[in-house]
Amino acid sequence: MLFIVFVLVSCILLFSGNLYQQSVYLTSANAVSSGIYGVSHGITGYFNLRSINEDLQLRNATLENEVLNLKNEISYLKTVIPLDSVEAERLQAHRFEFIMATVINNSVHRPRNYFTVNKGYDDGIRPGMGVVSQNGIAGIVNVTGKHTSRIISLLNVTQHFSVKVKGTNYVGSLEWKEGNPATAYVAEMPRHVKYHVGDTIVTSGYSTTFPEGIPVGVILSQVKTADDNFFTLKIRLASDFNELSTVRIIKDEYKNELDSLTNFDVAQ
Amino acid sequence: MSKSVISYFVIFLVLLLIQVLICNNIMLFGVATPVIFIFIILRLPMDTPVKIVMTVAFLSGLLVDIFSDTPGVNALACTILSVLRKPIYFMYIGKDENLAGASPSVSSLGVPLFLKYLFSMVLIYCTLEIGLEFFTFISIKRMLLIISASTLLSFILLIGVDSITVSKTVH
Repeated sequence: MLFIVFVLVSCILLFSGNLYQQSVYLTSANAVSSGIYGVSHGITGYFNLRSINEDLQLRNATLENEVLNLKNEISYLKTVIPLDSVEAERLQAHRFEFIMATVINNSVHRPRNYFTVNKGYDDGIRPGMGVVSQNGIAGIVNVTGKHTSRIISLLNVTQHFSVKVKGTNYVGSLEWKEGNPATAYVAEMPRHVKYHVGDTIVTSGYSTTFPEGIPVGVILSQVKTADDNFFTLKIRLASDFNELSTVRIIKDEYKNELDSLTNFDVAQ
Repeated sequence: MSKSVISYFVIFLVLLLIQVLICNNIMLFGVATPVIFIFIILRLPMDTPVKIVMTVAFLSGLLVDIFSDTPGVNALACTILSVLRKPIYFMYIGKDENLAGASPSVSSLGVPLFLKYLFSMVLIYCTLEIGLEFFTFISIKRMLLIISASTLLSFILLIGVDSITVSKTVH
């Protein structure tokens, strides 16, 4: 009798699988496990700081370069276009806000990987928000507790992301397959386009989760698929998931508006 | 009695913490993850009522599931393991009545019997756990590789755990 109860409970947990409606108490984001992970992170958090620092310096240099280029461009444009016509563009820049969080627990070896961060509902985090590391996209917020959240890692076979080749409008679906935490696949890429090894893959911006243009990875090779109409590309991921430390969680100020528009459409 | 309950509880907590904080982060050669928290299910005396063993097993599995975000996987595998424990034990010791209520370890069973019991249990557990978690996501060949590698690694580590804990639980 007891056996049947236990097996039943396990099976319900095992097969319910609804990623967004799970109770926070049954995830690593609950108070006890996140407390223990927090203490353990206090010790192990220092291990990878050197290489994380190098990554940050590199990213900083790239961004600084970009800022200089943009400044040049703006000062040139100011001489050509009257100022009031760029107002709309300026508003767009305030659409996204970042919340910093620290990863206290992380897994990369399972088919369905998650990581836990030390910010939660009270810090403004809600399920469905995008998460990026210093190098590129990392995942999507799944369950939030008061001061902790569980994130669906990009390394999760059930989670797909909309991505595109940088500088083009060729959009595909980012999928990860169990095994290697450094590589992933972009499926459903149009066949008539020529792709080059080393081309950058970025987020498409077709959802309220990620703004357009956040780095995802670079193309490694083209993979043969059963479907003749599309290509699948193998990519090297920009984020190093073995060394996730500080991440930024993206808050989209337009999310409610855009979502209500979508719902309005469905209701009609 | 109460002293041994406390010592089992301490072993249980320590192994659970080692499992979720250290072992779960190990993937040796990309194929082997050690499982050591099942030691408590293997070690409980054979005359412990099945209901208690089953409850301990279910709860420990559930705790590991919560910590590692694998809902139901370890809980189900542990529950099944706790039911198979007795049949497997008696398959190896036969009708030896001196051992019918023993707490399985090298010192109570001797090396060959204990190793056979330990290996069978670990193999069953790894097959269940990895089967439930990886099924449909990877090829059968890779799954078998992960199961055998994880079984071997867990088996070796559990022999070590047995030798460390033996003095505390023998009365």
